Amino acid sequence: MILFALLLIPFTYLMLALLIKKAGIKKRLALVFSTLNLLWAMALIPIVQFKEIIVVQMGGWSAPFGISLVADRFSVLMLLVTAFIFFLTTVYATQSVDKARRKNGHFFFTFGILMGVNGSFMAGDLFNLYVWFEVMLMSSFILVSLGGERKQLEGSIKYLILNLISSLFFVAGIGLLYGKLGSLNLADLSQKMELARANLAVLNPALILIFVGFAIKGALFPFFFWLPASYHTPPPAVTALFAGLLTKVGIYSLIRFYTLFLYYDAGFWQQVVLWMGALSMVIGVVAASSQYDFRKILSFHIISQVGYVVIALGFFTEAALTAAIFFLVHNMLSKTNAFLVAGWVHREKGTLNLKVLGDMFKKSPVWGILFFISAFSLAGLPPLSGFFGKYLVLQSGIEAGYTGVALLALFVGLFTLFSMVKIWLEVFWKKQPEDSAMEWPVNQKPAHWMLFSSLALGAAIVAMGLWAAPIAEYCEAAAQDLLNPSKYIEYVLGPS
Amino acid sequence: MEYIIAIFIGLLYSCGVYLVLRRSIVKVILGVFVLSNATNLIIFLSGGITRGGASFIPEGAETVDPATISDPLPQALILTAIVISLGISAYILALKYRYFDVTGTHDLDQLKNTDQR
Repeated sequence: MILFALLLIPFTYLMLALLIKKAGIKKRLALVFSTLNLLWAMALIPIVQFKEIIVVQMGGWSAPFGISLVADRFSVLMLLVTAFIFFLTTVYATQSVDKARRKNGHFFFTFGILMGVNGSFMAGDLFNLYVWFEVMLMSSFILVSLGGERKQLEGSIKYLILNLISSLFFVAGIGLLYGKLGSLNLADLSQKMELARANLAVLNPALILIFVGFAIKGALFPFFFWLPASYHTPPPAVTALFAGLLTKVGIYSLIRFYTLFLYYDAGFWQQVVLWMGALSMVIGVVAASSQYDFRKILSFHIISQVGYVVIALGFFTEAALTAAIFFLVHNMLSKTNAFLVAGWVHREKGTLNLKVLGDMFKKSPVWGILFFISAFSLAGLPPLSGFFGKYLVLQSGIEAGYTGVALLALFVGLFTLFSMVKIWLEVFWKKQPEDSAMEWPVNQKPAHWMLFSSLALGAAIVAMGLWAAPIAEYCEAAAQDLLNPSKYIEYVLGPS
Repeated sequence: MEYIIAIFIGLLYSCGVYLVLRRSIVKVILGVFVLSNATNLIIFLSGGITRGGASFIPEGAETVDPATISDPLPQALILTAIVISLGISAYILALKYRYFDVTGTHDLDQLKNTDQR
């Protein structure tokens, strides 16, 4: 029941929203339910500290036969950050998203995403993971195109087709894996794979298909092309939600999958993961530096930042997994906040083209400082969360003997700083070029709720930097669980 | 029988990939449908296609020879996958229709406005 509630809360909202016609009530209900979800996710933290791994067998069938929901420390942390980001983007959307979109189900589909994301973080078997992915993707397909502007439709066709193909890869892999091992439960599969250690090569086709599926969802090189083509088209509140949650679900699944299955054949997979992570890191950041659109730069940085998590996964030591989890959390917070600031700029000026923007710091120093915090946290400046994230990744990489990759990460950090300084100078600092000043109606309505969301995220980023030690300790405990799959197996299947 | 179905799946995949690589959006969408059907057949094949009975265990029996009953799980999986792809197909066709309304083109080469240059 404790885990099931995280699916039930969004589901109840979905059912209620179908019955209600008025946009105002839908909005208030959305706020209530996202708060409930946040409170519930907070309550899970002490429970998971006490129980270590929470397992719920749905319908009462025991583990390898029924559907299990599993949440270890890593999942619960992800659930909490998801709930936090979801709550704040919901608050933000009440002012940022126009009324027509809200009336046509903006909140409905964001709750669809929440349900899918929560489900994916707790899924205990592969096919369930696929179904939750689809719940999440289906809602996100609609959110990308909701509103029906021309560029939105274009973006959503690309987004839709590439993500559908990734689902096909994933589900074909699941089919083949089931054919070979006769199970879908993650814990059961991991156990069976350990028994079949001698001839793991027969499983590789299935594992590669699933890996490619995750890599497309997580926007890793060379599978990232859907992301920069679509993320800058929907309203900023939607992009912020996507940037915070969607690719991260792909990366979460990859980490789960790697620690349960792929590490048995580490000699092969470690190289693959390291190369893909390093290339995503470099190519994302280089591509970003040639862009002149606020959101496009940030979209390319998603790819680059995801690369950090993946190289940390490739190092595969306890310290490295700690770093990966810490970095993932930091990235979700900072990235979302950067997009929230972009949303404010868009609201004030009606464009996100760096060349025609300017003078935004004079317009509102608070928003300027909020961008400063999130951007320089992404670039890795102390004392913000990004500094500790990067520091942990680099340190673990050098300790594990991958000095080259670690230095590459340092070099990428420099480029990130370049992009962020570019946005800062072009949008907030320089004088707005007079000839390019567009006619845009001055928005009289205050944006206090938007500011509230961004302030809360900014505070979270600073707090994560100031209290990095206790958070890193929690991440370390989570990493220990990840490195010890027999514990996961024991909790899910019961003591053997 | 497995070989025939395997070759058939391969053919479906190559048709699907060929269609996905075409320039017309409608053909790309059709290609995705073909690919998803090929994927469903993979799941079907992976469960083993030996001719077996219904997957019930007779009353009172302690064990059943697995060769005599068919594996119900892949069929359940395919059912789920078909339902999901039905929903997505409906949505993607509606999206295509709307896109054609707005732009009046089927040509993928016209979809360059959101790309990175």
